[in-house]
Amino acid sequence: MEKKYWQSFGELNQTENFKQSAQNEFKEELLPLADLDDKGIIDAKTPRRDFLKYLGFSTAAATLAASCEMPVRKSVPYLQRPDDVIPGVSNYYASTYVNGGDAISVVVKQRDGRPIKIEGNELSSITKGGTSAQAQASVLDLYDNTRLRYPMQKDGKEFKEVTSFDAFDKMVGAAITGKTVVLLTSTITSPSTLQIISEFLAKYPGSRHVQYDAVSYSGMLLANEATYGKKAIPSYHFDNAKVIVSLGADFLGTWLSPTEFSKQYAANRKVKSDKPEISQHIHFESMLSLTGSNADDRFLHKPSETGAVAAAILAALNGTTASFKDAKLNAGIKLAAEKLKAAGGNALVVSGSNNVNVQIIVNAINEAIGAVGKTINWAVTSNYRKGIDADMNALVNDMNSGAVGAVLVYGVNPAYSYNDKKKFIDGLNKAVGISFNASMDETAENCKYILPANHWLESWGDAEPKSGYFSFIQPTINPLFKTRAFQTSLLKWSGSTSADYETYFRSYWTGKLGSADTYNKALQDGVAEPATAVAGAAAFNNAKVAEAVAKAGTAVAGKEVVLYEKISIGNGSQANNPWLQELPDPISKVTWDNYVMMGTEMYKEMFGKDVIADKGASDAYEVHPEKPVVKVTAGKMSVELPVLLLPGVQKDTIAIAVGYGRESADAAKTIDYIGRSAKGAGKNVYGFVGFDGTTNSYTTAVSVVKVENTTYPLAQTQVHGSSESRPVIYETNLKSFTANPAEVLHEITHEKLATTANGSTDFRKDATIYPDLLEEKKGIKWGMSIDLSTCTGCSACVVACTAENNVSVVGKTQVKLAHEMHWLRIDRYFTGGDPLNPDVVFQPMLCQHCDNAPCENVCPVAATNHSSEGLNQMTYNRCIGTRYCANNCPYKVRRFNWLDYTGADSFEDNQKPLLGSYLDESVMQMNDDLTRMVLNPDVTVRSRGVIEKCSFCVQRLQAAKLDAKKAQDPAVVRNVKVACSQACPSDCITFGNVNDPESEVSKARADKHRAFYVMEQLHVLPNVNYMVKVRNTDRELGAHHEEKKEGAKAHA
Amino acid sequence: MSLLKYESQLREPLVDGDKDYHQVTEDIVRPIEAKPSRLWYIGFWISVGLLLFGVYSIYREVTYGVGQWNLNKTIGWGWDITNFVWWVGIGHAGTLISAILLLFRQGWRTGVNRAAEAMTIFAVMCAGQFPIWHMGRVWMAFFVLPYPNTRGPLWVNFNSPLLWDVFAISTYFTVSLLFWYSGLIPDLATVRDRAKTKFRKLMYGVASFGWTGSTKHWQRHESLSLVLAGLSTPLVLSVHTIVSFDFATSIVPGWHTTIFPPYFVAGAIFSGFAMVQTLMIIVRKVFNMQDYITLGHIEAMNKVIVLTGSIVGCAYLTELFIAWYGQNPYELWAFFENRGNLFSPYGWSYYLMMFCNVVSPQLFWSRKLRRNITVTFFMSIIVNIGMWFERFVIIVTSTYRDFLPSSWSTYYSPTIWEIGFYLGTFGLFFTCFFLFAKYMPVIAIAEIKSILKTTGEGYKAKMTDVEKADAEKFYIEEVTHAH
Repeated sequence: MEKKYWQSFGELNQTENFKQSAQNEFKEELLPLADLDDKGIIDAKTPRRDFLKYLGFSTAAATLAASCEMPVRKSVPYLQRPDDVIPGVSNYYASTYVNGGDAISVVVKQRDGRPIKIEGNELSSITKGGTSAQAQASVLDLYDNTRLRYPMQKDGKEFKEVTSFDAFDKMVGAAITGKTVVLLTSTITSPSTLQIISEFLAKYPGSRHVQYDAVSYSGMLLANEATYGKKAIPSYHFDNAKVIVSLGADFLGTWLSPTEFSKQYAANRKVKSDKPEISQHIHFESMLSLTGSNADDRFLHKPSETGAVAAAILAALNGTTASFKDAKLNAGIKLAAEKLKAAGGNALVVSGSNNVNVQIIVNAINEAIGAVGKTINWAVTSNYRKGIDADMNALVNDMNSGAVGAVLVYGVNPAYSYNDKKKFIDGLNKAVGISFNASMDETAENCKYILPANHWLESWGDAEPKSGYFSFIQPTINPLFKTRAFQTSLLKWSGSTSADYETYFRSYWTGKLGSADTYNKALQDGVAEPATAVAGAAAFNNAKVAEAVAKAGTAVAGKEVVLYEKISIGNGSQANNPWLQELPDPISKVTWDNYVMMGTEMYKEMFGKDVIADKGASDAYEVHPEKPVVKVTAGKMSVELPVLLLPGVQKDTIAIAVGYGRESADAAKTIDYIGRSAKGAGKNVYGFVGFDGTTNSYTTAVSVVKVENTTYPLAQTQVHGSSESRPVIYETNLKSFTANPAEVLHEITHEKLATTANGSTDFRKDATIYPDLLEEKKGIKWGMSIDLSTCTGCSACVVACTAENNVSVVGKTQVKLAHEMHWLRIDRYFTGGDPLNPDVVFQPMLCQHCDNAPCENVCPVAATNHSSEGLNQMTYNRCIGTRYCANNCPYKVRRFNWLDYTGADSFEDNQKPLLGSYLDESVMQMNDDLTRMVLNPDVTVRSRGVIEKCSFCVQRLQAAKLDAKKAQDPAVVRNVKVACSQACPSDCITFGNVNDPESEVSKARADKHRAFYVMEQLHVLPNVNYMVKVRNTDRELGAHHEEKKEGAKAHA
Repeated sequence: MSLLKYESQLREPLVDGDKDYHQVTEDIVRPIEAKPSRLWYIGFWISVGLLLFGVYSIYREVTYGVGQWNLNKTIGWGWDITNFVWWVGIGHAGTLISAILLLFRQGWRTGVNRAAEAMTIFAVMCAGQFPIWHMGRVWMAFFVLPYPNTRGPLWVNFNSPLLWDVFAISTYFTVSLLFWYSGLIPDLATVRDRAKTKFRKLMYGVASFGWTGSTKHWQRHESLSLVLAGLSTPLVLSVHTIVSFDFATSIVPGWHTTIFPPYFVAGAIFSGFAMVQTLMIIVRKVFNMQDYITLGHIEAMNKVIVLTGSIVGCAYLTELFIAWYGQNPYELWAFFENRGNLFSPYGWSYYLMMFCNVVSPQLFWSRKLRRNITVTFFMSIIVNIGMWFERFVIIVTSTYRDFLPSSWSTYYSPTIWEIGFYLGTFGLFFTCFFLFAKYMPVIAIAEIKSILKTTGEGYKAKMTDVEKADAEKFYIEEVTHAH
């Protein structure tokens, strides 16, 4: 008999009960509801507890099921991987950013075949690794969805596609044969292109090449021709200058080659406690410019007095005292002359004026002080700007008289930027217009044929920013659209033997550089430069000086306008770049608009409110984005713009930025033709540009009238200008600093001594009863040092950070609500005793990565925490968005995703709410598939409802650590470059491992007399330190000084 | 209950109108058994309308983002947390009346405790909406619960005051709800016993948990009441203390203040009593309960209002003094510029708060005004406006200009959806309150009966003589005799 195993007597005996229960798989009732049919809820068999259990389970299950749904995204791997593409690994190619005459040697970061970031090329001796905001942002222009996608031909009023390049070539060939052809281009710095142009012109007799700059430098070119016999611009060496006098030249912001000049300038502005010596920068201007705000001493004059001021400085060099009404200005001229004379040739005077006479006087001053040969190098000339205003005017006249058969427009947009744009458009319509511009801009839409040229990131090319210094462009991506290099077109149309520009380019440079190897080396390096720098003077012809002084002009009565470029939008060619539109102007902190920059005195006169004396009025002005509107009129041109109140603007002067107000002929088409970001941003004021018979003038007399009952909102990212004497910024003058380097931080040192436990100055250790958990930690500790002395406020770092970290664009409406997302911003403070002409301090502000971070302990879900390397980390997918951390951050660097800025939300279609639209078109622009190609795949795109902030570019740090491990060399992580420090043209941001005494950041911090932490008293223990700003002036500086003086008075 | 009571010879009766026990039941149960009035319907549907608008406002906020509100990089909290603290504050009076006054044997509480407790529960429900829906990702709100999870050692942050809030508010809500409900049981049984329809009998039967009124039931009921009162008493103090920690433990100037816990608790009681006044005055009028909610009640609560209002006033002045005495530049700025300077952008809100909370309640030093229903009603609203502004002042005027002047904010004013959310909680509150008033006894029947004889009889017996006698003689004879 079979052996029987049993578990219970029931099983052994096979009772009826057992059999039944063995059959029944579910011994308890499964669903409570089955019993509810007829018995009613009270008598139901399922007990209440079970009901609650089921209820709880099903609710939880439903919740989980509902919240865990993720969209499925498919990716397809390479069947055959290209040699140089490793998924997830970036490649870097040297190239050159070119836009008009601007050229900056760069390195392009390419990821999976897409260029995503621009970095400076350190091999260039001109820019030395520096970049500008515009260069940083230009990668976004590549993915601009208003770029034209194929060649086009005008058919009636509409444009239609031309199916092939061949067909286009035939059509254009027929259209221009036998006609006078004019090539209207921006300043071209490319030697190969210039050669192609000359070959092309030879093919079409009677044709000519006109170079046109939206903002002209012809005054300088003509003055140099008059005095040195060369229609060129020399090389400037601000690094050799101990004294710099600028007459309204914004050389750190927009003048000529600001990236290059920032590098040079900063080299002489870095103060060392042991050897305190910096250059002295004296600035004369009418409005408040970026460069002016960096000056040691700044003096104001009327725009029409520019020539007179230049002449007065020249005269003062010979001991003549200036006799302006304004005593401060006279003192400034005296000071400038004295310092210039004393510098022994190591001095430089530059002027931003486009007036030939002013520039001749400036040349005479430079000659008189012996600058030529020392700070001005005529052996190497600059090629950034070559346009002559009279040439352009002659062309426009010729076009109108029908003398021009065809106009080939490349890289310029005179239908927008020419002062008499109607006349230009009329002329263009009389000729055959052919546009090579990338988008359907104001000029292209008036052309008959359009053949969009490649973006520089898709091109071969070269640039010669200075004679003998070459910089190369190699494509980092195939052309996205059916576009063709401008040069290829010219080659085709001139019947060249070269098939295309690439072939031509290769043979041109292989020939010039000697061999294929040197050519490849040059491409790889991105630059080819003379082995030794040559310096040289030029013979000065002073014949014209006396005449120039006589014609220098005197002040005109009444109000005047100064037209200027912003570091973001420049001349307007990048107006559809949302990164640049949203970049706050470092001076005004305004985004997305231009405006009338007005001083406090004129504001009082026009609006009856004295914002200096009346705190209520200044509060009311700053807390409301709605600003009063004025109408500015000069001749036929008039424009209504909001008033931006700024101290430090001359009392009869207003200033308006050019580059705004892009608009198609049919305004409704602007959004499709020029772009969603450009539309509605500001007003076009090129119409105020005057012509004085020789050159364009960017200042003119205007009437300014209040527009009653009208306001216009300006989206500012900073509204309060004073630091309120808080320990946020420190500044001193060189004299006090030399005499007693410890004095500037005396107050905080004193406070430390008074408040720490045992009279030490170590807040970190001795101002707390808690143990310092990070103190004993060895290994890496990341830190940053920012030198306020060299930060010029140029904002290249802000755009670099935006590009590197996929920082969202939020549009004007959101910026107005203070919802901007920038991880890094430039804070601007007005300091000093003179509210009419204050000093300006720029302070890059980013997450300070506090070791005792107030944000970390308040997060209920621990979404933000501290790494063992001193990083304050943000875990986006843990964040529930209580915003407590942002409230508790004393530096206000945390940014909240208020709306779905990225389209990354799991809620669909929520960017356009019913009843009111909250997201601007520019946000949609950033969210379309083409534009999203610019995103950095190493950085998470944040979704709505989470906080984000500076991560110290943790993706770069991880990569560097990996490299260090592979190389078995800890030194690799010593001086890692984060995006902001990489971009900085003035080297004011130093980053690295502070536990490594050899790192740059450790060395910077070793300067105890200058290193301070913002609001150190709060004991949040920041990992970012700042260096005191030192100005080379005799004035007492800073709010702290003011206080000290008041204190002394009170004691007395 | 009689142990907790003693018969007062001198006080006026807690229940007017010479009621007997049956009349009490009749009076209080009448609204439940009768058809609701027209006024009730109007009020109810307005409330439901507001509630729906609130739901839509929240729907927008959840779907489109917190950007539907006008908060910004500097002002991370605005109307949302202001309303949260305000509602939590209102939710203090109920438990205070039930628990602390029970322990202090304040017989007068029985007239108002039921409605006040209901108000507490509804107010806390309203308050709870704000911290939940103000989150950027509310669908992840369960992250704040410390539950075992599969995310490794990922746990909530016990350092965060917001987490303490989670515990404090949920505990307070649970205990208040239990307390309120356990008090309701005998009364619901009364309604059940009088029910005429089967459905009513069933519903009230379920709700009263089979209460029979046996001595054992009463004994357990009283023990439970005492235990819950004991539990609630510290909660009354702790909830607002912990809410105040949201601010006090931060470093924001104007928030970082050690005086906050007592000041918040006093403020909460202040606003809570004001809200009780508002509601009671309406209830006694609408449901004709002047005999149960007497002028004596109103006067007693006005006394609490003038006391707590003065405490709050002292706290305001202490804050100012400490800001001056401490000479911390940031704190000085927050108190003397952002708030104290009437001409600064938000100066008006500080002075409005001062007027409503400190100046206006001083009227109640006058007995005449304390016993004036119209004055009390308006004052109760003024106090609640003032207390709303107190939270607004604390939250917004501290953050809009804090440490770093570069980040000082533009002027913050709410969007329609922020206001809508607030109105929505009014809708929730009043919808609940109307339903409560219709379906549950708004006055604790059993408890009011326990005090019916303790004051009324003695008072009546004595006061007829006293009223005739002259005061001096009365005091000499009666008072000295009593001792």
